[in-house]
Amino acid sequence: MYQYDTVDRQMLADRTAEFRGQVARRLSGELTEDQFKRLRLMNGLYLQLHAYMLRVAVPYGSLNPTQMRKLAWIGRTYDKGYGHFTTRTNLQFHWIRLKDAPDILDHLATVDMHAIQTSGNCIRNVTADPYAGATAEEVDDPRVWAEALRQWSTFHPEFSLLPRKFKFAITAAPKDRTAARVHDIGLVLRRARDGALGFEVIVGGGMGRTPYIGPTIREFLPANRLMSYMEAILRVYNRHGRRDNNYKARIKILVAALGTEEFTRQVEAEWAKIGDSVDLPDTELARIRGAFTRTGFETLPARSEVFEAAKASNPALARFARNNLKPHKKPGYAIVEISLKGIGETPGDATSEQMEAVADLAERYGQDDIRVTHEQNLVLPHVKLDDVAAVWAGLHAAGIATPNINLVSDIIACPGLDYCALANARAIPIAQHIAEKFRDPDRAEKVGELKIKISGCINACGHHHVGHIGILGVDKKGEEFYQLTLGGSGAEDAALGSSLGPALPYEKVADAVDTLVDVYLRERQDGERFLDTFRRTGVTPFKEAVYADAH
Amino acid sequence: MKALTANRLTDGDVVFWKDGQWVERFADAQLWADDDPAAVEAEGHGKAQGTTVIDVYLIDLIESEGFWAPLSYRERIRALGPTNHPHHGKQAEGGAVVEALQHAHGAARSTGRVNLIKRK
Amino acid sequence: MPTLIELKDTLARTVDDPFTHVADGDDLATGDVIVSLTRFQADGERLLSEGRRVGVRVAAGEEVEALAYDLPRLSVVALDFPKNLDGRAFSNARLLRERYGYRGEVRAVGDVLREYAAFMVRCGFDAFEPADGASANEWQAATGRYRHVYQRSADDRSPAFVERQG
Repeated sequence: MYQYDTVDRQMLADRTAEFRGQVARRLSGELTEDQFKRLRLMNGLYLQLHAYMLRVAVPYGSLNPTQMRKLAWIGRTYDKGYGHFTTRTNLQFHWIRLKDAPDILDHLATVDMHAIQTSGNCIRNVTADPYAGATAEEVDDPRVWAEALRQWSTFHPEFSLLPRKFKFAITAAPKDRTAARVHDIGLVLRRARDGALGFEVIVGGGMGRTPYIGPTIREFLPANRLMSYMEAILRVYNRHGRRDNNYKARIKILVAALGTEEFTRQVEAEWAKIGDSVDLPDTELARIRGAFTRTGFETLPARSEVFEAAKASNPALARFARNNLKPHKKPGYAIVEISLKGIGETPGDATSEQMEAVADLAERYGQDDIRVTHEQNLVLPHVKLDDVAAVWAGLHAAGIATPNINLVSDIIACPGLDYCALANARAIPIAQHIAEKFRDPDRAEKVGELKIKISGCINACGHHHVGHIGILGVDKKGEEFYQLTLGGSGAEDAALGSSLGPALPYEKVADAVDTLVDVYLRERQDGERFLDTFRRTGVTPFKEAVYADAH
Repeated sequence: MKALTANRLTDGDVVFWKDGQWVERFADAQLWADDDPAAVEAEGHGKAQGTTVIDVYLIDLIESEGFWAPLSYRERIRALGPTNHPHHGKQAEGGAVVEALQHAHGAARSTGRVNLIKRK
Repeated sequence: MPTLIELKDTLARTVDDPFTHVADGDDLATGDVIVSLTRFQADGERLLSEGRRVGVRVAAGEEVEALAYDLPRLSVVALDFPKNLDGRAFSNARLLRERYGYRGEVRAVGDVLREYAAFMVRCGFDAFEPADGASANEWQAATGRYRHVYQRSADDRSPAFVERQG
């Protein structure tokens, strides 16, 4: 974890004081709703269907146990005893009272947390690889750069009224767990042959109404020039992005309209003029790097006899290990993924008790480190293999040992029409119905990696465009219908899904997914994932099976 | 028929207009015939209460077999609460009307035209 | 006539505006004027030759690059904030200060709101025509709310990474 210093803390204190004043002015009637709305949105406070929603930033998805406990406490004190982890790796409380919001922000500030820039047309929370610092795949720790970006983008005076919201993803591993190619800017850390660090810069990806896989505009940006280059991109966007139509205001539209070559030319020309005055000096980069709590690893054998014995006597643990454990860079350690996708539960929801259980486990067995993934799960990045059985037991007791990471029931879903004022259809019950179909864990494991992503409207918070199976809720004359897409991917092999066929009514969706899986199991060749099979066969066999009844 | 709805400023709770007051239950909401000018008049009064409520608007209702319900699914969810947490929101209160609401809710799903609340 | 607030050395005060805003179709009045970019390109030479002080009003969609060679002759560049929270004037202001070294007045006009006062100051604005009725005191409070800043901009504030070096 990055440790806040006085500057960081005073920044939050000044912010909470400002917001407390704004809320008081609203409640007294000094501010109208029109005037106040943009102010509360600058603090992540939305009005949803049933109450206010407060979106708390979890910068680059990184939390310590103290912060997690505070979130649990806020959930219990000011909400209904739970919180919802989002595809932006933030945490949303769905039952907040306006009059409590200033107090909540004060409580968050005591643990170095806030809701700054979790909404509005500004630079939002940065997504980073949830395995940062733990995976052997990475060339550097992306959190250092994510923190640098967090500071640079916080209250950036020039880029706080952009044409539209703006989202970064950063990873340092070839295996992309951040959906970098569908972000406004995706940054992939690379090392040149001479060892120098740099970024591949991807600009203009995105989902929503007009999805794009972002093109690379620079193969290698020297790492210490990051801020000036980002400033150049944002300046070109701020000046030239469309402001006449909200649906065409994201940077992806500008990049597509200008063409990658011309957009790149404009950015490079601006960058040349900006120079290096806004770049962070090496001393500050070193300070940020040093402000992350050091992880200490013991020298351990790669194989843990304790763990092997526990697995042999406990099939549930063995199943959990098969699906939720990922390789760690150090022998004798593992990355443990915690699924927030219990069968029949709401994807991404965690109760206050569950948050506290995770905090306890992170403290006892996980070097005080917790991550949130954009797939709405949690990660304990540094767990000794010797301790995995104890971690599993703790998770099991808290009801969050679901062994389904990357499986068919590990579904992304936005809050949808059950909560969201923008939604056209529900997403959560669709996820629940599909998960129920694959309640049998043997069947789910047999199906293997299959990413289902559900959005309740075209804004695509549920990332449906990049689901292996994507599901988009639409409203047809007051009824909920769902359009299915196949073959999308948000990973390093990024692709947009293609349409399966006419939209299906609410009660047909889970059956249709079941049918799609059956077709895959019938068609698949050795080792193929659902996505690979689809890419080989195309849509036809899937389409025929799902719409067979219709003929 | 129409009803007037809003969210309360201080806590965001869904409220309905009844004789100059805001009430929390759809069951208690005042209803107007589609062409009753009193509905628009009430909407005007509601919109003037900027320190009490926000997002004031009229919703369309449909009537069938003696039950009344908001026409749109979104409004039915506002009147009840989220479907994934049956104990959250207005539906948590229980009682005969809420039970009627919840019962009708199942039938509501695919038709978009449901009878949620018994009038009279 | 809108109030004009001037900010000097972090002190905001209300001042009498010596300039008259002249719309494109209107008479060029007498004395010091602020005209649109188009009008300036047509009548600028004449106005300056009359010994008047001249300001140019730059719309959000216009670019200050168009004034590059005229800046030394201009007393005011007024950058417009249209409704709908349009931040293009922020970029225009920074370019005026940082790229062209413009030392004259950079004035915020249009939908000028105190919530964005601190950002305006950081981008190089030093005069404001508030659209929200803010007083000089309120404006000053709004610009001085934050003790620290994280990034370099067109003002002379030390960003956190410099402060931290002590």
